[in-house]
Amino acid sequence: MSSTLEYLRPRTLIEAWDLAASRPGARFIAGGTDLMVRMREGKVQAPALISLRHIRELTQIDVGPPLVLGAGVNVSDLQANRDVARVLPVLVEATRTLGSVQIRNAATIGGNLCNASPCADLAPPLLVHEARVRLESAAGMRELPLEDFFVGPRASVLAPGEVLRAILVDAPTTARAVFLKKGRVQMDIALGSVAVLLETKGLVCVRARVAVGSLGPTPMRLREVEKTLEGATLDDGTIALARQAAEQDVRPISDVRASADYRRHLAGALLERGVRALMNGGRT
Amino acid sequence: MADLRYVGKDLPRPDAADKVAGRAYYIHDLVRPGMLWGKIKFSEHASARIAHVDTSRAARLPGVRAVITGYDTPEVRIGFLRDNFALKRDRVRQFRDEVAAVAATHPDIAAEAIDLIRVEYEPLPGVFTPEDALAAGAPLVHERDADGRPVTTNLLPVTVKHRSGDLAAGERASKYIVEGEFSTPLIQQACMGTAGCIAEMDTRGNLTMWAKTQIPFLAQRDFIRALEAMGLPGRNARVIVPTLGGAFGTGLDTHAYEYIAILLAHRTGRPVKILYDREEEFANLSPRQSARTRIVQGCDADGHITFRRIEVVQDNGAYTSWGATYPTVMLIPATSLYKVQNVEFEAKIVYTNNTYAQAMRGYGNPEVTWPIECTLDQLAEEAGIDPLELRVRNKNEPGETTPMGLQVTTCGLGECLELAKKKLDWESKRGKQRHLRRGVGVASLVHVGGSGRIYRSDGGGIILKLDDFGNVNVSYGGVEMGQGLHAALTASVAEALGVRPEKVAINPTDTATCPWDVGTHASRGAFIACNAAIRASAKARKKIFALAAEVFADEVKKNLQALIKKSPSYAPPAYDVAAACRADGFELASGVLSLEGAPDEPWLKLDLGRVLRAIHFRGVAGQMVIEEAFYEPPSELPDWSKGVGNMSASYAYGVQAFEVEVDEDTGDVRILHAVSAHDVGRVLNPQALRGQVQGGLAQGVGYTLYEEVKTKDGRVLNPSFTDYKIPTVHEMAFPVDVCFVETNDPAGPFGAKGVGEPGLVPTAPAIASAIWDAVGVRIHDLPITPEKIVRALKEKKAKE
Amino acid sequence: MRVELSFTVNGEPAELRVEPDARLVDVLRDGLGLLGTKEGCGNGECGACTVIVNGRAVCSCLTPALEVEGVDVLTVEGLAGPGAELSDLQQAFVERGGIQCGFCTPGMVMSAHSLLQRNDSPSEGEIRNALTGNLCRCTGYAQIIESVQDAASRLRAKAGKGGGRG
Repeated sequence: MSSTLEYLRPRTLIEAWDLAASRPGARFIAGGTDLMVRMREGKVQAPALISLRHIRELTQIDVGPPLVLGAGVNVSDLQANRDVARVLPVLVEATRTLGSVQIRNAATIGGNLCNASPCADLAPPLLVHEARVRLESAAGMRELPLEDFFVGPRASVLAPGEVLRAILVDAPTTARAVFLKKGRVQMDIALGSVAVLLETKGLVCVRARVAVGSLGPTPMRLREVEKTLEGATLDDGTIALARQAAEQDVRPISDVRASADYRRHLAGALLERGVRALMNGGRT
Repeated sequence: MADLRYVGKDLPRPDAADKVAGRAYYIHDLVRPGMLWGKIKFSEHASARIAHVDTSRAARLPGVRAVITGYDTPEVRIGFLRDNFALKRDRVRQFRDEVAAVAATHPDIAAEAIDLIRVEYEPLPGVFTPEDALAAGAPLVHERDADGRPVTTNLLPVTVKHRSGDLAAGERASKYIVEGEFSTPLIQQACMGTAGCIAEMDTRGNLTMWAKTQIPFLAQRDFIRALEAMGLPGRNARVIVPTLGGAFGTGLDTHAYEYIAILLAHRTGRPVKILYDREEEFANLSPRQSARTRIVQGCDADGHITFRRIEVVQDNGAYTSWGATYPTVMLIPATSLYKVQNVEFEAKIVYTNNTYAQAMRGYGNPEVTWPIECTLDQLAEEAGIDPLELRVRNKNEPGETTPMGLQVTTCGLGECLELAKKKLDWESKRGKQRHLRRGVGVASLVHVGGSGRIYRSDGGGIILKLDDFGNVNVSYGGVEMGQGLHAALTASVAEALGVRPEKVAINPTDTATCPWDVGTHASRGAFIACNAAIRASAKARKKIFALAAEVFADEVKKNLQALIKKSPSYAPPAYDVAAACRADGFELASGVLSLEGAPDEPWLKLDLGRVLRAIHFRGVAGQMVIEEAFYEPPSELPDWSKGVGNMSASYAYGVQAFEVEVDEDTGDVRILHAVSAHDVGRVLNPQALRGQVQGGLAQGVGYTLYEEVKTKDGRVLNPSFTDYKIPTVHEMAFPVDVCFVETNDPAGPFGAKGVGEPGLVPTAPAIASAIWDAVGVRIHDLPITPEKIVRALKEKKAKE
Repeated sequence: MRVELSFTVNGEPAELRVEPDARLVDVLRDGLGLLGTKEGCGNGECGACTVIVNGRAVCSCLTPALEVEGVDVLTVEGLAGPGAELSDLQQAFVERGGIQCGFCTPGMVMSAHSLLQRNDSPSEGEIRNALTGNLCRCTGYAQIIESVQDAASRLRAKAGKGGGRG
């Protein structure tokens, strides 16, 4: 028989923290697209589930600047939000590759990030914009770079009772960004995904941010690649160097989906494709 | 042939409305009074001794009504080599071996009970490739056969061999020879509706099984034998087939889970349902066999095939099911795909501790068409002949007899090749788009079109029962699994009998009420059922006409009297009804009986129901119209040791051609256009036939580009849709030209051939041929993943 | 420890007691006897269990039952009109060969219905996007796409709009 004795639906964060404090071992659940699966597989057991779906404080979107996305924002809502599309188009682009309509209708941005899978589709686009996350508990609030939020496969810095409150993007820039994901079929976990952001003056790259998913233990920035791009003229030579840096900078594993070799190769291929797309006005 | 009313028309399937309304009930939906839920404990090792099984904690769990193991149940042997068991004792030989089972009042309780069963194993070395299994000193998967005789090898005592012509002469006559090794992986049928059954015993030990099966009658035989092994001789087994959520070959054998359900039903005295969840379906239901093939093929300077030598080694897995008989079907492309006189074929089947494999659509044909067509593509390249032209030069023709002894009555291969060429715009594309990394490729297929005789009877029967209202209830012992059998059968009965399709209903498949049928495989459903229906309909018409001769005149007289009463001025035409009422003077069309050549007056026509009532209620002379026919196709059971015999009544040829674009950087293959042209004999229902071909093509695309059951030391690594990828709607977003060539085969019902399987037979080599045209690499091991293409391109570049 | 759940399904009120971690698919099938919704994988990967909750297509195998408290749920049983008359969409599937074994059909039709509610002139690409999460092993999808396109033009015709495929 199931070991979950309660399903709770608080209306405010304070209620949620109170419930978490009074029920040791309770898990927060948002869209449930990941947690429901893992509970069914027996990988997660929780005496109580605390649903975050009805907490208004978590679903707010404020274009700012800074852009503030409540962690509870539904992915389909995010996909349809014109303000966010104007300010952070690459994030909206990434939502299109996340699962299916059914998954997006249930999933939340926060869930995608808190799951902390190395394959999280929404992470690379946020990383190239140097997003920050706001974590909050009954004890208080803290902010840190999204990059530091992930510590390992399915591991984040979230403490028990702590909730991812919002994602902040300080200065949605005039730089352009693109997101590429390669799966085996359309609805798939990424074999590799790459987000590239470039700010250029003429043909010279003045700022580059590159982030990947499924190519290391967490979604991560590729700083070596960024170094080869920044300050350089974006010609074939630079792109070749950046590609090489990408292949070396990633830390992929071989698993049932793909070999590490192929993933390395893919990192380079997607990086090149992303850079050239941005040079072509964002068309991949 | 006279104009047909219903056959060849786009009539909606009779079962479609219920399905789309959510009113079709699959095994998942069925419940029996007092039913318990069964669940199975599977082995945690690929090869081990079972040291101890402790079921005590499970048995004490509230809600558990029975816990069984191989130690407390009679031994029930399964499979045509009887090397499998319902529950395993002493040894496990694969990860999915069934070690224990429970029946409980709720599925959650059953699942919890399974976790409470403790099994201690002593791991043993296992073998996981045929090569390892055949190496000297390899551990034996089975030490004794079903009769207790010692076994000394992992090689199965099942041989299929063929040799015809003069291989040496063929080699000498070759200007070009290509040799290669090819492989196909384990592929899962991946039906959307998972496997399951309900077993129920009555108070006398007779069994009723609701089974997700394609072989209700062979299953009945198997279950009767199981009842005998359980100490219940002389009992009957009734197999009822509910609406099937797909099958694709999964239902061609009986499964351990079915026998376990029977044992649990017997133990508890209650109906027991076992249903596989998706993970169990992927990990514990038999996929199609993997095969490794070595082939040598040659041609002369003009591209005529001179000889073909094929050696296949198959991984049987730990037990034997129909996968071991794939070579019987592999012989078909080996000997009869294109004209070839000198052929040698041999297949070896080897036990390993991998998951045992069984049937899937195509049944060995795709596995061998793959190396044949790939090497033919290479021969074309070497000979400097366009690959499609090479196929045309070697095409099979009507009237030929192939080295296997297949008598090709009708053959539309030539027309199919022409259609592929035209629809794909072949001539302007092949060899001309490399700069775009685009290419076109082609491959052909031959498969049985008039069933495939692999058992002493390849027949099937039909019962037509007409009632007082002109309704026709049809009983057929094969199954509708989504392929459109019921649509074809409805149209055939309506056509052959002369009634409207709305008046025809197909009864559920039930061994208690339907005539025997060997099973729905080999694309035989419509071929057999409709042929039997035509014969039964002829009998029914004969009876109706003979009896109508006795009642028709009286009935129309009543009509005339009523008419004159209403319209006294009506003057009937001069016509001697009584004289015309002879058994050979009637016509029955759209459910209306009339006299041939009679004036076209409504009072001279009778609704069939009225005639049947008149026949029924004639006091002591009353009769029913219930007719049956058993159809046995004109084919032979081959001599498998020689690989010779005309195993089908007709042969279905076809061609697939693809245009692809290859992304050299990521290795992605994007399909731009496909043509699937088939010699179908006759189209019974255009919509259903298109659906079969498009569905087959999608499965073909899947196994060509990404489908593979991955295992490591016998464990399935990807038991879910997360990592066993089948095409989504996006992967099929390219235009598909489905073309039918009607060759009107004399053996077929209205000239039709079976086309259930051909859709996936030539897909892989056709796509591979297009990839070669696009970027100049050939992959021999399916699936052709992006990774393999990238690696091949790197190797190619390194050589240049 | 079961708790109360009340919601609306196919326009009718439903009240029952459920386990706290019950899934919507089980409540619909076992609790309410609405067997039209099928479970194909339990992981949200095949879409056979698709229903519409508050106007959005979701996988009922991933939806905690208690999340539909007070909410409208539409299942395949709710598509037909009075007298069990098939909807235009359902009729299109029947007439255009969009159904073979039928196991994926209820989920497929719910996803299509959800699309057509928002957009009665979907492009082929939009139809494919809407159906990405619905796997079919039998049809190869071609006649499914045709069925949805046919349904869309029937709906447009009823609304008095012209033809064309958007």
